Amino acid sequence: MRRHPIIQMVIIGAIASAIGIALGLWINWFPADAAKQAAPIDTLYDVLMIVSVPIFVGVVTVILYSVWAFRMRPGQELQDGAPIHGNTRLEVVWTAIPAIILVSLSSYAYTVLRDIEKVHRNELVVKVTGEQFAWTYTYPQAGGKPISSTQLYLPEDRPVRFDIRSKDVIHDFWVPAFRMKIDAVPGITTHVRVTPTVRGTYQVVCAELCGLGHATMRSTAYVVTPTAFRAWLAKQGQPPAPANAGAGKPLGKADLAALGKTTFTGDAGCASCHTLADAGSTGTTGPDLDTVLKGKDDAFIRTSIVDPNAVIAKGYSANLMPQSFGQSLSKQQLDGLVAYLATVSK
Amino acid sequence: MTAKLRGPGWYRAALFAVLGLAFAWVLVGVVRTAMHFDNTWDDGTAITTVALIAVPLFILVGLGCFDYWFYWAAGRPTRPEDHSSHGATSWRSYFRVNTDHKVIGIQYVCTSVFFLFVGGLIAMLMRAELAQPGMQFVDTATFNGLFSVHAALLIFLFVIPVFAGLANFVIPLMIGAPDMAFPRLNALSFWMLPLAGTMMLSSFLAPGGAFATGWTAYAPLSTDVPLGQLFFTVGVQLAGASSIATALNFLVTIITMRAPGMSFFRMPLLVWANFSTSLLVVIATPFIAASQFFVLLDRALGFQFFDAFVGAGRDGSVLMYQHVFWFYSHPAVYIMMLPGFGIISEVLSVKARKPIFGYRMMAFSLIAIVVLGFTVWAHHMFVSGMQSWVRIPMMITTAIIAVPTGIKIFSWLATLWRGVLHVDTPMLFGLGFLATFTLGGISGVMLAMIPFDIHVSDTYFIVAHIHYVLFGGSLFTIFAGIYYWFPKMTGRMYDERLGKLHFWATFIFFNLTFGPMHVIGIQGMPRRVADYADQFAAMNLAITIASFLLGLSMLVFLYNMVASWRGGPRAAANPWRAMTLEWQVSSPPPIFNFDNVPTVVGGPYEYGVPGAVHGIFQSPTEAVPAGAGASGPTSE
Amino acid sequence: MEAASAALHGHDAAEHHGPPEAHRSSRVEPQLLGMLLFIISEIMVFGAFFTAYFFIRVVDANPWPAVGTELPKLIAGFNTAILLSSSITLHWALESVKRGNRTGLKAGMLATFLLGATFLFVQINEYVHIGFAPSNSAQASVFFGLTGLHGAHVFIGLVLLAMVTVRAFRGHYSAEEHRGVEVPGIYWHFVDVMWVIVYSSVYLL
Ligand code: HEA
Ligand code: HEA
Ligand code: HEC
Ligand code: CUA
Ligand SMILES: [Cu+2]
Repeated sequence: MRRHPIIQMVIIGAIASAIGIALGLWINWFPADAAKQAAPIDTLYDVLMIVSVPIFVGVVTVILYSVWAFRMRPGQELQDGAPIHGNTRLEVVWTAIPAIILVSLSSYAYTVLRDIEKVHRNELVVKVTGEQFAWTYTYPQAGGKPISSTQLYLPEDRPVRFDIRSKDVIHDFWVPAFRMKIDAVPGITTHVRVTPTVRGTYQVVCAELCGLGHATMRSTAYVVTPTAFRAWLAKQGQPPAPANAGAGKPLGKADLAALGKTTFTGDAGCASCHTLADAGSTGTTGPDLDTVLKGKDDAFIRTSIVDPNAVIAKGYSANLMPQSFGQSLSKQQLDGLVAYLATVSK
Repeated sequence: MTAKLRGPGWYRAALFAVLGLAFAWVLVGVVRTAMHFDNTWDDGTAITTVALIAVPLFILVGLGCFDYWFYWAAGRPTRPEDHSSHGATSWRSYFRVNTDHKVIGIQYVCTSVFFLFVGGLIAMLMRAELAQPGMQFVDTATFNGLFSVHAALLIFLFVIPVFAGLANFVIPLMIGAPDMAFPRLNALSFWMLPLAGTMMLSSFLAPGGAFATGWTAYAPLSTDVPLGQLFFTVGVQLAGASSIATALNFLVTIITMRAPGMSFFRMPLLVWANFSTSLLVVIATPFIAASQFFVLLDRALGFQFFDAFVGAGRDGSVLMYQHVFWFYSHPAVYIMMLPGFGIISEVLSVKARKPIFGYRMMAFSLIAIVVLGFTVWAHHMFVSGMQSWVRIPMMITTAIIAVPTGIKIFSWLATLWRGVLHVDTPMLFGLGFLATFTLGGISGVMLAMIPFDIHVSDTYFIVAHIHYVLFGGSLFTIFAGIYYWFPKMTGRMYDERLGKLHFWATFIFFNLTFGPMHVIGIQGMPRRVADYADQFAAMNLAITIASFLLGLSMLVFLYNMVASWRGGPRAAANPWRAMTLEWQVSSPPPIFNFDNVPTVVGGPYEYGVPGAVHGIFQSPTEAVPAGAGASGPTSE
Repeated sequence: MEAASAALHGHDAAEHHGPPEAHRSSRVEPQLLGMLLFIISEIMVFGAFFTAYFFIRVVDANPWPAVGTELPKLIAGFNTAILLSSSITLHWALESVKRGNRTGLKAGMLATFLLGATFLFVQINEYVHIGFAPSNSAQASVFFGLTGLHGAHVFIGLVLLAMVTVRAFRGHYSAEEHRGVEVPGIYWHFVDVMWVIVYSSVYLL
């Protein structure tokens, strides 16, 4: 009588677990898998699934079975159960087995960790800077001055080391498709290693609460062929920056616009927050300038840049856009931006 | 009127509140003049800062929490204790400073359930905003405020105090004590809570909005956001002081006031649970107090604990905050769970009519969790950029902590085995807890696995874990406990049918709300965001709908409690035929609990053991103290 | 603080129609136990501040004290001596009351209080003349944090001592009933010991 129900239960449990595991493995949990680091993590997850489901199902089965088999039936109102106080053998078992499972899981996880954090030779170093609420990526150049951009371009199949810093509060650099993330901590430089394997466009997400714009602090990562990457670097590299070049003589409208564009996509970091078709930027922190600037005059654009809180775009809150551009940008860069935005948003 | 103003009570409290404000204003003014600052008398921030600290204290004085001690301190003859401040005569008594642990217990429970509903309502607003991508109802500032206040209220003003409340009511009865060891301290620690809660809520009125840095309030964000943050910084101090005082009270009560014959291994497991919880509180809570002191000092007096950009550019230590914070806040999650474990042990063994399985291991596993709980804090910091080697030991200890927890789960299952299960509301919540908490715990173990955590940290997978352990864990045990002791506390029976309805609605919609969060989390939806990528729209809409239904199911609970308390059928002294002492006295218990202290002669869970007795009620002299003192357990 | 004074009052015996006297299941005095537990949590508060000290001085390997500042080891040393001697006078007061010697009690308490007050005064004076502010560097913050936290405890301790002294002069306490001196005394001794740790780690090391 005592054995029998247990066998029943084990069978039920086994079947249920099988189904559960199948389900767990069948559901497509993870986002796109675009880096060498992804596969080991996904496998670890599958293993965790395979281990946990039977445990959970087992617990639930026992509960349901007990309710079904031992529930109080009419006439039992005043009866008591069997006065069982314990069973040392059983207790040892259910202390030892979980302990073994957990230790082995931890060791496995440790090996995975070693694997995904392995240091490679000829790593491409990318400096990532987080600030409220934008990412800037800097590519140190052997010799020449480093190239900085608001979009993240990465060559396919090349190990990358990200050196991550923050200008203000804690942010967190995360590309879900790469699986890896690490905080950008004021005062220290943190590192994360990724080897992109699949060409494509992926989202960069800030995963640590950093203030008003946290939700929208996203940018884009492009994984491209090494040749395309070199081409892109070259394009970023050639300095059409008359910002300092033509210091004296006033520039023509075209040059101004050109300067405006480089400022917009370059170190000013506008592109990281604003979508602008002409600049090919996809930022979402700020409004889409193609639409909001329709029919706006230069004056408006200028104030919007130097004093963003003067007019708050509908659906956005104040203090999101830095108020420092009035100082940080040169007069010429400003004129450039205004000219550029005015032309492209016509 | 003047008499009213002089005597302790609300009028005097109001008066003192005003005095507190004045005090803050004058103090700030005087100091600033002394230091030759400009805008001496109208520095809003400074005044608010001082007022936030001063006004609550003044109000407490006004309410009369300190009167007795003032007399005592001045060495004047203290009023001979006439118990005017003891026991409830009418509903009004619950709004006065009262030293009766039963009154205080009910004050605690009602206050914290109020904050459950407020916090829940806030969650509803959050869900409404999250129903679709983009911004609909609130701006980002408000949204960040919403989830911060939501969590702060539900953790510091609901889960922690509600457990303290239930224990406050039950534990003295369970161990055969007439009251807590320090009744006035007990009253004081209660009255700090409404103040803390009001403070956190009123932060919405602060210029710049409510504190919006999550319940973790990471520096340096928390040191440079608007004024609202201070309402958290100071509010937590109040709540923390309250729970430290209560914990200390419990420890002293449990150690020094047990009935004759109640050895440690004859204590009900709820007492064990609160004993270990109180240990955690006394040791860990000072750390969150300190972490908030740091923030306060940085904000108010220009300290540089967290400013990594001063001087050499690496002076301030940002990670230090997280270490200090989590050294409290991980133990805090067990502070929010162990009392629940205690409740479940009571409910399951009574409702299954069986002795708890492996009593001693149940007690030891509690202690094991307390000890291990202090060794795992950095599992919240796997991606924080701390020294990477620290992660490994933390991963292992974190995983190992599942072992004592597992022992408990399995022992409860074994307690069900071959019992006579009375599957009523408390039992349903108990069983529901076993399932949901196991799931939440297992997701916790997954999080302990560093590589996986690197991916899901700060995503909705965490949010799912949080709610499976806090809602499916803590809250289910709280419901079980409230239904289980409702007859004892109110002297009336709750409506069983509504109770069952409440359980099923809650259980189903709970899983529908928080289950899917695992998925969107792994797929890459970060937490603490007001706006999200369109790919998650469908899931979030479903979650929002489920959460509204979950909210409605809470209304069933509310109605059941209110209606039954006012008009429910009278409850018998011991409707569950339980053995523990609180059920041996009338419902509700007499004002001084016992005419004379009972004597404990056996274990608390001897169901089905022929002729077993736990406590007997002659005066100790007549009773035969069966191996009184530290005799071996009869429960083995 | 509440806990401290609570531990002092305990719950009073003389109660007519009150509850039954609770059974004493432990030899430890509730008040004593309460104070000890309170001191444990106090130690943890200091522990947290020492964590800050540890991270900023050791982990981040910052110079200590901050470059261009120095800490008045000597004055603080004298101050330490003052505080420690106050522990002795306090002990003397307790011993006297145990022996029923009231003058000893009063003198001892008064001396203790004055010594404590002197310590606090010197400490504040040191702040005024130390030549740097908390806002100058993280090291400065830690310095003011730790010493300030301790100063606050000295203040609380002084308040308790003041109560005891007042009551001593009002003729309270006796050879039998002197817990009211003993329990705050424990707190004061704790404050002293804690200072030795603060002094040696902040000033000396
Ligand atoms: C009641 C509260 C509670 C409880 C009890 C727990 C219990 C556990 N938690 Fe959780 N946790 C939180 C509340 C809680 N947690 C909160 C609020 C956060 C988020 C904080 C924030 O950032 O806002 C968090 C975050 C959190 C993290 C950080 C994630 C991140 O931010 O990146 C981690 C990582 O390790 C973790 C792990 C665990 C583990 C291993 C347990 C274990 O104790 C669970 C043990 C239980 C079981 C495992 C189930 C029963 C056991 C068995 C059936 C035996 C067999 C099982 C196995 C062999 C697996 N939790
Ligand atoms: C015990 C703790 C507890 C409890 C009970 C809950 C209950 C709920 N929580 Fe929350 N939650 C936390 C603790 C808790 N939470 C914590 C610690 C965080 C982390 C915060 C941070 O990141 O810092 C969090 C974060 C959190 C988030 C993530 C926010 C973000 O990261 O952006 C969400 C999102 O859906 C959420 C939702 C809910 C919901 C829908 C409920 C529901 O269960 C609420 C149900 C209750 C009610 C609804 C109230 C009763 C009903 C009424 C008053 C009637 C009105 C009802 C209607 C209008 C329908 N919670
Ligand atoms: C950190 C994010 C961020 C950066 C960087 C940023 N902006 Fe913005 N911007 C915003 C936000 C948010 C708004 C909407 C709120 C407002 O109007 O101030 C905005 C508004 C604007 C507006 C006004 C739109 C309207 O209709 O009101 C203009 C024009 C603009 N930005 C241009 C720029 C330019 C040019 C730069 C670079 C020099 C830039 N922004 C950099 C976030 C940013
Ligand atoms: Cu940057 Cu969140
Ligand atoms: Cu934790």
